[in-house]
Amino acid sequence: MTDLSRHDMPVATAAPALPRRAGLMLRSLRYYRSEIAIAAAILLIDAVVSLWSPQVFTGGNTANVAQAAAPLVVMALGVLVVVITGGIDLSVGSTFSLSGMVAGLALGAGSSWPVAVLVGLGVGGAVGLANGLLVTFVGLAPFVVTLISYAVAGSLAFVITDGHSIAILDPDFWMLNGGALVPGIVNYLLFCLLGVAGLEFALRKLVLGRWVYAVGSNDKAARLLGIPVRATRCGVYVLSGLCAAFSSMLSLSYISNAEATSGGNMMLQAIAACVIGGASLFGGTGSAIGAMLGAVMITVIQNGVNLIGINSFWQGSVTGLVILVAVLIDRVTKARA
Amino acid sequence: MTSPAFALEALGIEKRFGATLVLQGADLKVRRAEIHALLGGNGAGKSTLIRIVSGDIAANAGAIRVGGAEAFDRGAVAVVYQELALLPHLSVAENIRLPRQRRPFEVYRAGRGDDSAAASLALIDPALPAAVLHRPAGSLDLHQRQLVEIARALHSGARLLLLDEPTANLTFGESERLFAILRRLARDEGISTVLVSHRMNEIRAVADVCTIIRDGRTVVDRIPLAEIDDDAIVTAMGQSRAVEAVAPRQSSAPEGSPSRLALRCGKLRVSLAAGDVLGLAGSPDGPMDLIGALVGVAPSRRWDVAFEGRPLRFSSPAEAVRRGVGYVSGDRAEKGILSTLPITDNVVAARRVARRTVLALADEVRRAETALRRLSIKAASVDVLPRTLSGGTQQKLLLARWLDVTPSILVLEEPTRGVDIGTKREIYEIVRRLAEAGTTVVWWSTEFSELAAIASRAVAFDLAGEPSAVLGAEDMTEVALARATGMAA
Repeated sequence: MTDLSRHDMPVATAAPALPRRAGLMLRSLRYYRSEIAIAAAILLIDAVVSLWSPQVFTGGNTANVAQAAAPLVVMALGVLVVVITGGIDLSVGSTFSLSGMVAGLALGAGSSWPVAVLVGLGVGGAVGLANGLLVTFVGLAPFVVTLISYAVAGSLAFVITDGHSIAILDPDFWMLNGGALVPGIVNYLLFCLLGVAGLEFALRKLVLGRWVYAVGSNDKAARLLGIPVRATRCGVYVLSGLCAAFSSMLSLSYISNAEATSGGNMMLQAIAACVIGGASLFGGTGSAIGAMLGAVMITVIQNGVNLIGINSFWQGSVTGLVILVAVLIDRVTKARA
Repeated sequence: MTSPAFALEALGIEKRFGATLVLQGADLKVRRAEIHALLGGNGAGKSTLIRIVSGDIAANAGAIRVGGAEAFDRGAVAVVYQELALLPHLSVAENIRLPRQRRPFEVYRAGRGDDSAAASLALIDPALPAAVLHRPAGSLDLHQRQLVEIARALHSGARLLLLDEPTANLTFGESERLFAILRRLARDEGISTVLVSHRMNEIRAVADVCTIIRDGRTVVDRIPLAEIDDDAIVTAMGQSRAVEAVAPRQSSAPEGSPSRLALRCGKLRVSLAAGDVLGLAGSPDGPMDLIGALVGVAPSRRWDVAFEGRPLRFSSPAEAVRRGVGYVSGDRAEKGILSTLPITDNVVAARRVARRTVLALADEVRRAETALRRLSIKAASVDVLPRTLSGGTQQKLLLARWLDVTPSILVLEEPTRGVDIGTKREIYEIVRRLAEAGTTVVWWSTEFSELAAIASRAVAFDLAGEPSAVLGAEDMTEVALARATGMAA
């Protein structure tokens, strides 16, 4: 009867709780052991790359990697929350492109850059809301819904300018990405750290975060417990859309050029970042710190491939291999836990 | 102070699903601190009634009073589901506390909140909190999960528990423990329990009062179990006795017929011929180890198995099927029914593997129609999807799959679990016919009365899963099986 299936039981990623008297430090180390392992793996990759190209550890290169990783980190945080609920968001790349184009148009039409950013975020929120409503209230599968919005938003990004890119002429827009709201810390870094810390806190410590995990863990049970499953599920798609749009704003502010293809392969990278970071596509697991580290790892690999001078066509293969290794390690460690 | 007469009063409940009237005037009245059995055949409307009184779905007509109040207090009535209702990735403490956490931006603190969850668990078993509180709910076994669900209900302020077939997945010992807990909660805390079960002996052991519904109507309203005998209950449910209706147990195998299946584990040996029915009794681990070997899932850790004189070593379930071993898993939904395929495919599924022939659709449809007739399965046509059928009917469908190929060995896991007494009798009859046709049946059941009635031989497993005894037909009684499995002293 159930016994053969008992081994298929999902097992939580979180370490079995230690007794309360164990030190906070030790408990955090144990709780985040898989994140620590990813961080170690990133350093290992860099160490390997440094055999060919010692400049990998220089401040300049590190800043390059951080700048390149920032939009992906922001996007991955949004995708992560969807993935934890057991859903998927394939539309983030198209949302990235579309919101960038719309913000570019707004700037071109003479609006100030903060207004343009709000408009861009509005586009992201709208795509996310459409996804959320179709998933929760119409009851379509997240894969299908976001495949549709991936296609529609992706094509709209071309339609609105007939495929032309838009150069950003606003002289102050760079400040969104490169300025320093808090002296001494560049904005893209600040936004990433705030986003990761805020999301990690919300997921772990707020009731709302428990709801997100509950929906992904067993949505029927969550409904019976009186958890607002629909609202939670709808909300995560909105958050994902907003994150994709903000990610696009950071990128736009840096590159100063809006292109309809800009979000192209970011969707797969963002999902990959979540998976590398320990999230399960079946839902119920995943952490913000893990997703951030996953995004950083993907960027580090790209950077390494460039530094070593391997043909950049190989980037996808290397990234794929790393994802495979990451999930296999995850599987082995969880089977043992 | 006057306390209301009933903790729960549901009067004249009607419920319609599409064109079918599932409930048409069902009453259920439950007193405080009472254990109340809700009885009825498959499809009588028990589960629908439970969903309505728990507030899961709304009735089309009727009145529900909880604790004497007209207003419906959802928290006061809680359903303890089988496996559905825990969040496997979250800790036990979180599972217990979440229903009471209504504000999304509230910070979720461990500490004092967890202490209150621990207190609720301790009401059930003082040793439980330390053992499970911080473990993920998915790592608990079924019995513990059920206890956690009860704790959660109490923590949310429930005064009445609704348990739908709570012992279906439990061993005898675990069931006993559950009932002891329910009785203690009734006595010390004044908690009422409504119990749905098909097992008469356990109903008699634990419940005070019963209500019987039939075709969506209450036909017996609150009668003390001491005042109604089994025959009257069965008559009221519209069915006749199951086990007693089976022909007296005997081996259909003639004396001295060759051994088809030989099992050896240490000093214990069993040899089975065509037509023998071997019962497996005891907690899941032991029987599942043997069953896994027979059906080609994994080799046994304990048993030497010989099939038709040669050591049995199937490399895959497919090979087992081709060699003539049929298997009806106890996990009907996950490992039995092909839920998105019509009845025809479900019936001929085994034949397709066993014979590896080209699909002959007309022939398959004919076979499916024959199966429906032979097993009196009520379905509009063979194109119907199985999920529209009741649990008992689905179970018959799984058996039909093997009737179609007449396997030399048929392995059954709890084939009568969760089916009503009438369907049980039909299943016994199907198995008897298969045995007469020369199939050797291996039957694992946690209902010892059923093994005692049907099996010609039985292997009992102790609580650790080790085979402890082989019983012959003459010394096989419920009590003997319970003793040999360590479930009764």
